[in-house]
Amino acid sequence: MSKKECIAMLLAGGQGSRLRELTKKNAKPAVSFGGKFRIIDFPLSNCVNSGIDTVGVLTQYRPYQLHAYIGNGAAWDLDEPGAGVTTLSPYATQEGMREFAGTADAIYQNIDFIKMHDPETVLILSGDQLYRMDYAKMLESHKAHKAGLTIAVMPVPWEDASRFGILLKDDDDRVVRFDEKPEKPESNLASMGIYIFDADLLLEELEADALDPHSSHDFGGDIIPKLLAEEKPVYVYEFQDFWRDVGTVASYHETSMDLLGDDPKFDLYSDEFPIMSNVSTRPPHYLGPDAVVDDALIDNGARVFGTVRHSILSTDTYVGERAIVEDSVLLPGAVVKDGAHVARAILGERAVVEENVKFGSVDTTKDTALAGDDVVIGRGE
Amino acid sequence: MNKKAIGLITANYKTSVPCALSKRRPMAGLPFAGRYRLIDFPLSNMVNAGIRTVGLIVPQNYRSLLDHVGTGRDWMLDRKNGGLFILPGTVYGGMHEGFRFLLRDIIDNKALLIRDSADYVVLSGSNMVVNLDLEAAIEAHEASGNAATIICHRASAINDDVYGLKVEGDKVVGLTHGVKYGDLESVDYCIFNRDELIDVIENFSQADYMALEEAMFKAEAAYSIGYYEFDGYAAGVYDAKSYYDRTMDIRKPEVYEALFNPERTIFTKAHDAPPAKYFKGSVVRDSLISAGCRISGTVRGSALGRGVVVEPGAVVSNSIVMQSCVIESGARVENAIIDRYNLIPSGTELRGTPDDILIKEKAEYV
Repeated sequence: MSKKECIAMLLAGGQGSRLRELTKKNAKPAVSFGGKFRIIDFPLSNCVNSGIDTVGVLTQYRPYQLHAYIGNGAAWDLDEPGAGVTTLSPYATQEGMREFAGTADAIYQNIDFIKMHDPETVLILSGDQLYRMDYAKMLESHKAHKAGLTIAVMPVPWEDASRFGILLKDDDDRVVRFDEKPEKPESNLASMGIYIFDADLLLEELEADALDPHSSHDFGGDIIPKLLAEEKPVYVYEFQDFWRDVGTVASYHETSMDLLGDDPKFDLYSDEFPIMSNVSTRPPHYLGPDAVVDDALIDNGARVFGTVRHSILSTDTYVGERAIVEDSVLLPGAVVKDGAHVARAILGERAVVEENVKFGSVDTTKDTALAGDDVVIGRGE
Repeated sequence: MNKKAIGLITANYKTSVPCALSKRRPMAGLPFAGRYRLIDFPLSNMVNAGIRTVGLIVPQNYRSLLDHVGTGRDWMLDRKNGGLFILPGTVYGGMHEGFRFLLRDIIDNKALLIRDSADYVVLSGSNMVVNLDLEAAIEAHEASGNAATIICHRASAINDDVYGLKVEGDKVVGLTHGVKYGDLESVDYCIFNRDELIDVIENFSQADYMALEEAMFKAEAAYSIGYYEFDGYAAGVYDAKSYYDRTMDIRKPEVYEALFNPERTIFTKAHDAPPAKYFKGSVVRDSLISAGCRISGTVRGSALGRGVVVEPGAVVSNSIVMQSCVIESGARVENAIIDRYNLIPSGTELRGTPDDILIKEKAEYV
């Protein structure tokens, strides 16, 4: 197999427990987002739009729907021999079977995949983030610095900095320190969990890390501190555009709402950097004779007879007569029956709110209401 | 998978009323219901019955049709075994109206029939908007022992563009051009025993301008031909008026549900259009809206194709606006069909009447 410049390894195995019921039966990267997409569409589309044709997707938690969704990768034009998308799950060996113990261990256990493709660099990505990024530019920066590792960073509000891995850099963008969730941050440059490694360095470090009994086998916790301690060339690549972690119910809701309005922070309509997805073919949606829709995203197959304000209606959703949906996200197939009222809520796939039932509250001091997939919200709930 | 049947679809015929919409494309390639093209219906009906070998007889102006069907991937017809076969139609197609299948088109593409071992060939035209359970029809045909079964329904109006069935008992003894209310009207699908279909075309191998539908009743062998009555929604598109009516039909819940039954998906070429976006102040009622639209103005009683932009203050009513059109601020479109890629400038008024729908032809690609 010919040598490749860069392959991507997409970490998609986490449980995503902070998305609560949304990930009860489904891995986080397979959770629906933005009306017709699933979260993994964003990093996968970024890869394709950046010219990366080989992606390993590391899965572990409830992988069935995720694997079915990725399929042979054709939906992202990733169905090419010798390239394309490969799902990588824990497997058995003559020594037995092990689950992925951490982000670094997940990659280590699939080191044969990297060796087979024999790339110059490896891009490591998370499967729970919403952003549009040209990785080719990050790769240029990596090569220009002759870096061993380049970490994508972005400035975050100072008050949030203690929730992130924070990097201090010198004038040449070389990392001088890395603090995981510091109490008193000295910088507001947060790691986005997006790394480009020189493949040789990555393999060397992973093999050493695997032998270290004290390591938790995590990139942020173990590998990066060790590289810095060894004074390896670690650089940052600063990203200024829209980037969100959609790993919690609150951030999922807030990021969804960011897609609305007159001038949304994330442009779903870009022709040059399109977000591709693998969706079933459904007809145009229908707005009924008394429908009122104000500030909304509505996907194919939806039918609306009531009122929808500042909300996202995914594929095949239904809003009955006299029903009201506001500040909410309806996942594919969710149904709001006649006269029901849904406010500041997320309805899981095929969830149903029965007739005249109220679900959620416009009160922003309360948590976002959440109904899991296939849940029926009746009276008294 | 249904190894018993293969499909043969023809797009190589014309309908009686010339139509500005089909001036530069075959009817089979006409955009329909926002995201589809008419050819999606026969292709999907065939694959939903498990058929994985389909021949498509294309007319001379096939560019847009082939652009759409490609390798057949979106209909699961990019097969190692079988798959989609693009079959060249003869020049007679451009003159041919009334019946659907030119014998010459089948004779010239006989290889498809000879090389397969399926028992049955499902033949179809490409004007009908119908979601048909062909598997049930094939079973009924198999049980009947007939050489052919014509799928039909009761005509709901006078129509010169379809053919009617002359029936004696449970057999069809002849066909009529045009139907009146209550007649048995062909829905353009017919199931033939493969052997007997080969027999018919061999009997008439010298015919240039004869239709299969004529030959099957003229053959010396006197084939036994039955019919299968379908009582769901089936309606054809033959001209601008029927195109407009069929599109507007889809706003009715029973038609929407019959055509887009999730158990028998109508497949079409995949696109990555994001959901439609409704801005503050938009007013949209009783309308079909496709993915990728961005609407700030008013839309009533209309159907918008993929990626249509309706700017603030623009009004679209009782109209069909196809893919990628832009209706600028203050423009008004009423009782009209706006073909693809048109920009309707600010202040323009395009008005037809319910009896005389205005057609704005496809703009040059920009």
